[in-house]
Amino acid sequence: MFRHTPLRYGVLVLLAAAALFQAFTAEYFGLEILTEILILAMLVLALDMVAGFGGMVSLCHGALMGVGAYAYAMLTTKAGIAPPVAMAGSVAITGAAAWVIGAVCARSHGIYFIMATLAFGQMAYSWVFEAPVFGGDDGLGGIARLDLTMIGLDLTDSRSFALFCLFALGAAYGATVLILRSGLGRSLSGIMHNEQRMRALGLTVWRVKADVFGLSGMIAGLAGALAAQHIMFVSPGLLGWTVSGEALVVVILGGLGTLVGPLVGAAAFVVLKHELSAVTPYWHLVVGVILIAVVMSRANGIFGWVEARWGARIDRRVADATRKQQPGEVVSDA
Amino acid sequence: MANDLGFWTLQALNALQLSMLLFLLSIGLTVIFGLMHFVNLAHGSLYALGAYVAASLAAVGGFWMGFFLAPVAVAGVGILLYSGLIRRMRKSGPMAQVLVTFGLIFAMLDLTRIFWGDLALAIEVPALLDGRLSFLGVEYPTYRLFIIALGLAIIAALAFVLGRTQIGAMIRAGVDNDAMAACLGINVERLFFVVFCVGCALAGLAGAVAAPLLSVTPDMGLQILIPTLIVIVIGGLGSLKGAVAGSLIFGFVQTFGAVLAPQLASVLIYALLAAVLVIKPVGLFPAKG
Amino acid sequence: MLETRNLDKSFGAVHVTRNVLLKLERGERRVILGPNGAGKTTLFNLLVGELTPNSGSVHLAGEDVTALPVAKRARRGLSRSYQKNTLFDGLTVEENLGLAAAVHTGHATRLWSDSLAKPEVREIVAEVAEQVRLMPFLHAKVSEISYGVRRQLEVGVALATRPLVLLMDEPTSGVGPEMAKGFHDLLNGLPRDLTLLIIEHDMDLAFDVADTITVLNYGEVVFDGLPEEARGSKLLKDIYLGSWEDA
Repeated sequence: MFRHTPLRYGVLVLLAAAALFQAFTAEYFGLEILTEILILAMLVLALDMVAGFGGMVSLCHGALMGVGAYAYAMLTTKAGIAPPVAMAGSVAITGAAAWVIGAVCARSHGIYFIMATLAFGQMAYSWVFEAPVFGGDDGLGGIARLDLTMIGLDLTDSRSFALFCLFALGAAYGATVLILRSGLGRSLSGIMHNEQRMRALGLTVWRVKADVFGLSGMIAGLAGALAAQHIMFVSPGLLGWTVSGEALVVVILGGLGTLVGPLVGAAAFVVLKHELSAVTPYWHLVVGVILIAVVMSRANGIFGWVEARWGARIDRRVADATRKQQPGEVVSDA
Repeated sequence: MANDLGFWTLQALNALQLSMLLFLLSIGLTVIFGLMHFVNLAHGSLYALGAYVAASLAAVGGFWMGFFLAPVAVAGVGILLYSGLIRRMRKSGPMAQVLVTFGLIFAMLDLTRIFWGDLALAIEVPALLDGRLSFLGVEYPTYRLFIIALGLAIIAALAFVLGRTQIGAMIRAGVDNDAMAACLGINVERLFFVVFCVGCALAGLAGAVAAPLLSVTPDMGLQILIPTLIVIVIGGLGSLKGAVAGSLIFGFVQTFGAVLAPQLASVLIYALLAAVLVIKPVGLFPAKG
Repeated sequence: MLETRNLDKSFGAVHVTRNVLLKLERGERRVILGPNGAGKTTLFNLLVGELTPNSGSVHLAGEDVTALPVAKRARRGLSRSYQKNTLFDGLTVEENLGLAAAVHTGHATRLWSDSLAKPEVREIVAEVAEQVRLMPFLHAKVSEISYGVRRQLEVGVALATRPLVLLMDEPTSGVGPEMAKGFHDLLNGLPRDLTLLIIEHDMDLAFDVADTITVLNYGEVVFDGLPEEARGSKLLKDIYLGSWEDA
């Protein structure tokens, strides 16, 4: 079950402050990196929702993001639909695709689930790659960004676009927390802890899994629609399985099932990638070694490690402090 | 053309050749999984390594030197991986294993680039196997026939070892129930080690025989990984029969799909995989019930 | 309320249940006795739908449910507890009960509200916690409570779906005799209109709770009657008491 601890709130506030600071002070290159982080953060948020709280380790979330990006690109460039409607459409299309994948894969577990989602992701990749209507290997260009001049935002400007992405990420985070705290989200964590028992209690397990997978797909689709607007170009590489693999790596490096951790992971991953690729062409090697070290250390990622080490102490202090102010009240978030 | 028997024979041979190459890769992966419940995504990287080692050795001592020594070299790397990483990851869940081996893919990709550079290497088909042979009424490259024969020979050898020998019985017992096998006095750890090494050697062999057909590039391991995984998931994890069936299904669907429905070819195999997982979530011939 | 007709199940050549006939009236409390391997747990799995019988049928409240999957049978009022604790290990006692109650009230699949915060759900949780004496442990995690309390929770989770029929697979399995006695008082305190089918190993304790007794041996019903008759039965002594006294 998802709980906001004082530590999580604290890190969340810090992250938001850092992002805002960066958004208002950085130059073009810094803003591009910030936007990249924000979009990846949204994708890993969607992935942590299913993997960290439902045990559905998906290797198709990169492809889902790609579906969202292509849906937005197709709707705006080929169908001539206005960007706001196209964004809603791409979210809906990706959500529907994810729901179907979730429904089909719901009976598979462990490695079979990973493989099944991988297969669906590759299916989407191959289709986009082969079908001429999607522009094949060349991709699609000339994608318009949302027009928000009526509220005084010019999204063709990097700073405004980064702020817009930050706002979208905040909304996606809020939605994710609400989903995890809903009846559906509670049942999902019941399934992760004991699927057999949930079924024996009368829950239609596959429906819950499919519904949450669909919702997660909607968030991935939103990330895709933003990614398409960010680089104003889509190519089949967006749907490749290594994108899904990297998203999973980020979730793990950050801390599976903590929501906040993967956000930290996304920032760390993008910064690391840019810093390393400036120094050496072999940055994959470094990332690979770090990944192996983190998984072998059995810590739950960076944030999981921080929580295990200091989480209890910080939470207790905060609880003590609040108790002094309100006698008789125990801080709890259950 | 479509009614020409020779054309279809040619396609069938192409499919069979692809199947045998995939079989060499998937059998190691599937038995390692069946026995140790270990998911080694880096299996494709071992294949790439085999191709690179074979290419380097071929430049020095000819094709056959690469052919025989590349599997040994890859098995050597396998020993290092096993004692350094895999033995410690055995009790971890599938996700931890997927991630560690994903990290290995990253690392090995860049290590091959550091050692061999980014450019594609080429390797000559040996004189003995160069040219074409007339076979079932078609002219077919001798080297590809050699791959088919090699694959069939290895299937036969593995079927014999697994079905008729004591170590085969021990492996089957271990796949079925490793705790029980350990109780029966089988040294399960040693068995895992041997199987892992043989699996790595076969991946290296696959790389060595594939090298003259394809160009040897750093990402060839990534490219072969997905087909290999599809093979073992369709076939069912842990069984020889599954690996053979999965390889044949993949080879034939891929090859004939490309001829009959080029528009659909690439999607077809994934759709088939999805269908198999819906109908039989554990594949066609899983080692366990 | 719950009835089986000629229920047969075999795994390969091994017959695990043979021609089992059971008929429970509403509010009846029946205990199933039998030595290890008599097919008691298999019978439960057939009743709830975790296994499909080779032949025969299962009827719940007058309807044939043989073709229904586990979840649908559960929603019609068939609930079970397990011999080995099958709980939501990382969660609290309250959350364990809440998840079950949410399925019953239909809040388990709603997106717009928190099922665990719903008054209907909280009401059931409080009531069940009272019934299985879990009030002091509500906020403890499963990992923090003792084995005996987990056994109570195991029954509590099954009760929180407000079933018509509750199947309990050795509720006192692994707990000491003192606690087992307390457990039977707890079972006796459950509402009288709830139909209970209990697998029990300890014969004397079984007599505390049972209205009727069924004895299984090698998958067959070898006795079906009142506890008093069972106590005197020679057949029962031979096949069951014998093995029990040896143990």
